[in-house]
Amino acid sequence: MMMDRAVGTGPSRLRASLLGLVAAMVAVASAATARAGDLGGASPSAPSVRFNRDVRAILSDKCFQCHGPDESQRKGKLRLDTFQAATAPASSGDPAVVPGDPEASELIRRLTTDDADEKMPPAKTGKPVSPEEIKVLQAWIAEGAEYEGHWAFIPPDRPPTPQVSRGEWVRNPIDAFILRRLEAEGLSPSPEADKTTLIRRLALDLTGLPPTIAEVDAFLADDRADAYDRLVDRLLESPHYGERWGRIWLDAARYADSDGYEKDKPRTVYFYRDWVVRALNRDLPYDRFIVEQVAGDLLPNPDQDQLVATGFLRNSMINEEGGVDPEQFRVEAMFDRMDAVGKAILGLTTGCAQCHTHKYDPIQHVDYYRMLAFLNNVDEAAVAAYTPEELEKREAIRRETAAIEEGLRRDHPDWVDRLRSWEESAKTPGPNWTVVRTDVDANNGTGQKHTMQEDGSLLASGYAPTLHVDTFTALEPVPAVAAIRLELLNDPSLPLNGPGRSTKGLFALTDFQVEVAPADKPDQWAAAKIARATADVNPAEAVLEPIFDDRSGKRRVTGPIDYAIDGKVETAWGIDIGPGRRNVPRRAVFVLEKPVSFPAGVRLRFKLDQRHGGWNSDDNQNNNLGRFRLSATDAPDAAADPVPAAAREALAVAPDARTPEQAAALFAHFRTTVPEWKGANDRIEALWKTHPEGSSQLVLRDRKRETHRLERGDFLKPAEVVQPGMPTFLNPPPSTPSPTRLDFAEWLVDRKAPTTARAIVNRVWQAYFGTGLTATSEDLGSQCEPPSHPELLDWLAVEFMDGGWSFKRLHRTIVGSNAYRQSSKATPDLLTKDPFNRLLARGARVRTDAEVVRDVVLDAGGLLDRTIGGPSVNPPAPMFLFQPPASYGPKPWPESQGSAKYRRALYTFRFRSIPYPVLQAFDAPNGDFSCVRRSRSNTPLQALALLNEPVALDAARSLAALTLKEGGSTDDDRIAYAFRRCLARRPTDAERQVLTDLLHKQSARFAADADDAAKLSGGAPDPAEHASWTVVSRVLLNLDETITKE
Amino acid sequence: MNCQDRLHRGRSPLDVSRRWFLNQCGVGLGAMALRELIAADAAAGSPAALDPMAPKAPHFAPKAKRVIFLFMAGGPSHLEMFDNKPQLAKFDGTLPPAELLKGYRAAFINPDAKLLGPKFKFAKHGNSGTEVSELLPHTASVIDEIAVVKGMHTDAFNHAPGQIMMSTGSMIFGRPSLGAWTCYGLGSEANDLPGFVVFSTGKKGPSGGNSNWGSGFLPTVYQGVQFRTGGDPVLYLSNPEGVDQAVQRDSLDAIHALDQHRLDAMGDPEIATRINSYETAYRMQMSAPDVMDLSREPKHILDLYGAEPGKGSFAGTCLLARRLLERGVRFVEIFHEAWDQHGNLTADLKNNCAETDRACAALILDLKQRGMLDDTLVVWGGEFGRTPMVQGGSDGRDHHPNAFTMWLAGGGAKPGISHGVTDDLGFGVADQKVHVHDLNATILHLLGFDHTKLTYRFQGRDFRLTDVHGRVVSELLA
Repeated sequence: MMMDRAVGTGPSRLRASLLGLVAAMVAVASAATARAGDLGGASPSAPSVRFNRDVRAILSDKCFQCHGPDESQRKGKLRLDTFQAATAPASSGDPAVVPGDPEASELIRRLTTDDADEKMPPAKTGKPVSPEEIKVLQAWIAEGAEYEGHWAFIPPDRPPTPQVSRGEWVRNPIDAFILRRLEAEGLSPSPEADKTTLIRRLALDLTGLPPTIAEVDAFLADDRADAYDRLVDRLLESPHYGERWGRIWLDAARYADSDGYEKDKPRTVYFYRDWVVRALNRDLPYDRFIVEQVAGDLLPNPDQDQLVATGFLRNSMINEEGGVDPEQFRVEAMFDRMDAVGKAILGLTTGCAQCHTHKYDPIQHVDYYRMLAFLNNVDEAAVAAYTPEELEKREAIRRETAAIEEGLRRDHPDWVDRLRSWEESAKTPGPNWTVVRTDVDANNGTGQKHTMQEDGSLLASGYAPTLHVDTFTALEPVPAVAAIRLELLNDPSLPLNGPGRSTKGLFALTDFQVEVAPADKPDQWAAAKIARATADVNPAEAVLEPIFDDRSGKRRVTGPIDYAIDGKVETAWGIDIGPGRRNVPRRAVFVLEKPVSFPAGVRLRFKLDQRHGGWNSDDNQNNNLGRFRLSATDAPDAAADPVPAAAREALAVAPDARTPEQAAALFAHFRTTVPEWKGANDRIEALWKTHPEGSSQLVLRDRKRETHRLERGDFLKPAEVVQPGMPTFLNPPPSTPSPTRLDFAEWLVDRKAPTTARAIVNRVWQAYFGTGLTATSEDLGSQCEPPSHPELLDWLAVEFMDGGWSFKRLHRTIVGSNAYRQSSKATPDLLTKDPFNRLLARGARVRTDAEVVRDVVLDAGGLLDRTIGGPSVNPPAPMFLFQPPASYGPKPWPESQGSAKYRRALYTFRFRSIPYPVLQAFDAPNGDFSCVRRSRSNTPLQALALLNEPVALDAARSLAALTLKEGGSTDDDRIAYAFRRCLARRPTDAERQVLTDLLHKQSARFAADADDAAKLSGGAPDPAEHASWTVVSRVLLNLDETITKE
Repeated sequence: MNCQDRLHRGRSPLDVSRRWFLNQCGVGLGAMALRELIAADAAAGSPAALDPMAPKAPHFAPKAKRVIFLFMAGGPSHLEMFDNKPQLAKFDGTLPPAELLKGYRAAFINPDAKLLGPKFKFAKHGNSGTEVSELLPHTASVIDEIAVVKGMHTDAFNHAPGQIMMSTGSMIFGRPSLGAWTCYGLGSEANDLPGFVVFSTGKKGPSGGNSNWGSGFLPTVYQGVQFRTGGDPVLYLSNPEGVDQAVQRDSLDAIHALDQHRLDAMGDPEIATRINSYETAYRMQMSAPDVMDLSREPKHILDLYGAEPGKGSFAGTCLLARRLLERGVRFVEIFHEAWDQHGNLTADLKNNCAETDRACAALILDLKQRGMLDDTLVVWGGEFGRTPMVQGGSDGRDHHPNAFTMWLAGGGAKPGISHGVTDDLGFGVADQKVHVHDLNATILHLLGFDHTKLTYRFQGRDFRLTDVHGRVVSELLA
């Protein structure tokens, strides 16, 4: 028999449960007897039907869509998801449910009626309620129709460890829970796997790498009682542990190295990836792990790591294709973050409530937006992140600069007076400027969007053209104009805070032009020639970086402000004075040759020529202005204020009211104005020249933003404003009146959070056993698959929290169980009774994850480069994939050299739109969205990848060479050596025979075909021998067992 | 087989692979039985029993058994190709009525963009008298085989979301594509080729990238496999240098033998599936180069398409698509990303149509002469249309989601009709609107599915290609 609900459940349990129930109804037998085969541990007085276990799934699947929490979808005003509603008189009169009286219950009548018009559920839903299910509902009503909240929404309590008859098998409580179920099903656990299998299983599970032959031998020889535990400890202490389990989290965090959508530009976010790996290696408690990722920036004095951790939410895709409305895709990113928080942390589906109140779970439409409001209050920032060495270097620069400045003050006791008199001279920032507000993109068809900010500045976003001229026309005339000021401003939405849009937050202004027209004759535009220009920064001429190559073959440069008025397309004004202080506001002033005035006023038009980007606008090649503001003055001889913005700000504050930072900024500028301090100034300049470049990392930055509920999730249909808040059906919200994102993060990992710990322990279980205790690991809501071992799930969740949310402790518990140590041999009997091994009467035998497949192959071939962390690498790949027409735009894939191409697959660069083919073939997700459960397919494309892909071939060749060098002198020894490098165990006689035959046949063949031998051996000294062994190695690397955890 | 397969619901056990069914029903299946099963399959030349791609019956008798989707990515201009708007010519250079633009969002152009008259002449063709522009003489010649759908509209006006919408029925990434749903529902008849094959023939790849043919939350076996017309048609199809046919066979025999030993020892059916995957891969190595070799086609067929062996082109790819379908491939999709005419509308459309028109018509004629058109559905169209308003000077149009044209041929689509009417300017659909969801519902109907019942449970919800929308457009059915 196959019931609908049984499909996902481990059929035998459901069968036992339902058949038992039916029997109970018919025979009115005692509940305990009738359900003897079931788990549940009910006492004889307990009702035979339990709402959560037996009833909820039926109602949820068949009824709640129209009679559930979603008011807008509710039919006949009937609601069946609460006792109160279901037992109240319905609009049709009789209550749907009359506790104790199934006959009088309208629900039962409507389920059993023959009248097609009355029959529920309506036939068109295609979800008929089966006779067995009706009997369950009848029994439930007969026993009082008691409701329970959905199990996963009730905080887990530690269940008592069950008593089992074979107590000697119980190594820890996991085994008791597993064994009780097995005993109930009449099954016995499998014997323990042999030691070789165990060490390979443990190594693959805990580090994602196979054990070396020496490690296997050492473990086999270790007959101490705690040899197994020692092995577990060693593996958990390995830095590769974090790589293995980090990859699993990175799926949930939808980590990728590119933006997604059409442009799918590379992004630099590996600091986040490395943070995850290190956090797991140091066993950062899971609750802190989550808090830092959701709100690390809001912790007191967050360090760089805590900022980097917020990259979790920033892993959303970014759409910068031409013509997008950036706000639309910012909102899409918010939905993506809600989905990620739901799947990765809460183990709940939130997406339904994006458009309407959830049909199955009590998440209201407005709840969704209240939660979203926490995430919406951010800027999409990117900051510079530094390696520990770089951080040290930065600290040294700061220290030495401070010492030099301190020296100046010490050696010049009159420095305060000199500073004050300089302040007097520098007090006036120049003439009065009138901010000129302009249209935005009325005249720009490039697809880049500008938005007018409150301060009159323009902020560029969306698509980033690389070679373009933008035109902006003033909205209001000015009476007269003699000079124009262009200010470049920081903005958190710009790379590294801007002020430009290049990956370094820089820009290049190829040319700046002004046109004027009389306000009453707005079409009579005339060029207003610029006589001279000044700027607060005038770097020396520098050739453009290679990324900005426009393929013109011209020598293109940036340099001082004059380059913006020389009319040359090769030259541009740039602001780069090196890392550490390049991302600051800048200004330039352009003085007109002749002041302009018209009786009706002057209309202004500005042309910002930005043709210093690269040829490929589908890559990170823009060199555009990010945020800028235009102003005009009629004062003659205006010049750019030479005082940097930070110092100018400090100047505006009375000396004794200045903060230490303001005082420091002021002194740092002041000292540069003192000619006799040139020596000290030069030394400080030299220090800055040594400042490390760093990398960018996408992070959150808190800001206020109004959040609306969105009708149908449409950002163009904002409804009422909502305040940040938590839904009420989980753990109680904190009592703080206006909770922050940090409060939200803490709430997510509260000890009373009902789903958080269950969700993560279930996924850890899934990683070990192939399937979670509930298979639907992305959703513990009321539509989830009922867990195969509900008490075990709760026990693990409580154990995990009580153990300080320690992953390593959890791993020790799981791998320490006998359940884990069982042999994975599947007998026909077990295959029949438990085809998917949900009852765990045997160990798990599962094909490893894509990354592990690749690493195992590399490691067997002795090629694996075990370097940890750093920028992602580009192992060999078919280059055509990264070029049109396979790719939308040409993508950089600078193939890694040397051993870097054999780094662990964790470090393979991940373009979302062009997944690395071998990893894709083995079901690695591409990071478009949060994934907490991978597919595990078994396809011909996998066979082709392992047989023929160049890196796989490298591994086969290398394994052959290693075998010849280190595998002994006889064929038998060598076969055993190569075999063990792949499988850890020794071959059986039959297996050795297969390989020996293959070897001999190939030896003969390659001896006769020097040409093929040379090609296959790839230049090895004895081509025929090496080629023959390469064939043998290639076979070994292609065995099912090689890529499987047994 | 996949760990998620057992989560399928509402499906007949007979639809599920035999291995699963046998196990599920307690027949029991030891290594011996599995071996027999494989042997039987090998004898029958079918790997189906061990394969989630095994052919399956849909909900009701299908009209179409296979699909070719000619995805004209970028947004082809309906106003220059299928939707004749004399009024648009008349009002060329004037502003569109203000009420028309209320709430309208465009990607690039400004609200003050003026109307742009059609660039090409239209004429009535065939017995149906359907209007087609002079750009498409070949399509016009087979217009009586085609159902032109002029009332299309969609939700997205940017390429990536628009394409993902067309391909998966959602603008949000992560949903299964039409091809994946089709293979999930029907499996594939091909035992040595992927069930869902994808080509990219334009100047660049589609904006939506891989997700256009992704499997979303469906098992990954259902995702499209990219073929290309030059080099290895499938990645890693060729043996490494120095490995000839004999070495490959020896190697596979050894792999098979060793996997078999392990299967005997461990009893895990997954090993049997692995053995089968390797055998299928080997067969694919033999058959894929063969199917991709256009020189095996007679000259008159090559001429019909305008294809040249050894030269990758849209035309050649259409012919390849036919060859793949003949060998049992369920779904072929050709992405031709070339239709984003913000400027250079006239010249680009001429080029694009010259490149594609003959082959589209040839595909219909060729399928027909082989008796395949009756049960092969050909779909032509892009992710949206283009604005009646001008972009740039006088030779460009912006993205336009409110109205555009697609066409269907064969596979139970009603031949020789024009469906849907746009307003006088071709801006909005005046009558017989067909949303992307409706199109998808109709395609699934032709494939034998009730689109509301082809579902997959994920995150506690039964997902469909058509989400909660979609209506079978009965007027489009033959």
